[in-house]
Amino acid sequence: MSAQTPSAGPITATGTEPRNNDGQAIAITVFSTIRPLRNLLAPIPGRVFLPVLFGLTRRLPDLTKELRQLSFIHFARWTVISRLPYNGPPQKKGRLRYQHMYFESNFNGGWEEYIDAFSHILAQGMTAFWGTSYGFPKPLPTAPFKQYIQSNETEADHYYSAYPDATSTMIQCALELDTRLTKLKQDAKRMDPDAFTVAYRTFLTDSQNAL
Amino acid sequence: MASSNVSGQAYAFMAMTPVMPGNEQPLAEYLRGLRGRGPSPLAKLPRTHLARFVIVPDFHHDPTWKQPKEDHLDLNYLIFTSNFDGGLDSYLDELCEQLAPEAKEIWGRCVGCPESARGAALKAYLKHNQIDTGMFFAAYGHATVGMVKKALREREQTIAFAIRAQGMDPETLQQAFLAEFGGAK
Repeated sequence: MSAQTPSAGPITATGTEPRNNDGQAIAITVFSTIRPLRNLLAPIPGRVFLPVLFGLTRRLPDLTKELRQLSFIHFARWTVISRLPYNGPPQKKGRLRYQHMYFESNFNGGWEEYIDAFSHILAQGMTAFWGTSYGFPKPLPTAPFKQYIQSNETEADHYYSAYPDATSTMIQCALELDTRLTKLKQDAKRMDPDAFTVAYRTFLTDSQNAL
Repeated sequence: MASSNVSGQAYAFMAMTPVMPGNEQPLAEYLRGLRGRGPSPLAKLPRTHLARFVIVPDFHHDPTWKQPKEDHLDLNYLIFTSNFDGGLDSYLDELCEQLAPEAKEIWGRCVGCPESARGAALKAYLKHNQIDTGMFFAAYGHATVGMVKKALREREQTIAFAIRAQGMDPETLQQAFLAEFGGAK
């Protein structure tokens, strides 16, 4: 029996189902099946390549520099699933026939814009992550890639954000501002009014992109 | 080297548990109805940034993908993922206590879940079904939920103050700033 029934509500302004939204935050949940053998897009089989790729991104954070440029992402993860923990009957014991990639992202903005940005800015990265998956059509042009993601997407049944009104950019700006404001607070009491006014104006000028 | 589930101080947890046959629809209805019954129960876990429940009925297939053999899930699976602050053990302790009433309705419908669906038994069940993350990206993994909420509040406060403080003379400006932000000693 399948619990994956159509959503009760219409597609939202963000371009995804209502259950994938909590305020500004949008959930995307995607499964893809990993090829056991190499192919044109992935000359090394996924079971070998993906653990190496994951390990490298942890050791060399610069590899995720382009991902950081996508300022509308809060959190994202890629996970390879080879087996499912056994819990007793009626669950069947044994390994899956193939490895599967679980991808989730928590972002803000619009679904279409998100996939567009992924395709254009992270074209190489997307090929690295999904090149070993069956059906992956290359990130560009974007229309087949969007179709691929849509086909593999599963709608959330419940999605939660601790700060639904905030975009990722707002949060990163606010955290940056907080550092400067803390310094100004520390200095404010021991300054004379004129020196404080100069410091305050400098603070506003330096912080204008964060306000 | 840090765990693959960690970025900064943020932790990416994922548990994938098989749904008891016949419980797929009631579980889906319960989860989908949470929104209509008030704040999300996940709000009871103050270390949670973003989290989701997803019921996966099966893997996707498309004949054009030329996959030699199909791969099917034996049952529907419930995925719970959370992006939260700090260590897993203390987080699951909080979850298994604070979410006990909901846990019975959620994981209590899954194969192998302990009868009580709370406390140490539920924690062991969730850890048994944990699947490690391969790559975890956190845009602000150094910041806790508390830090994020405080920074957002202060950003709003700073904007409002900047508007209000326009045209103030130096002495009034400093006094108003100290009154607003309580300048640290």
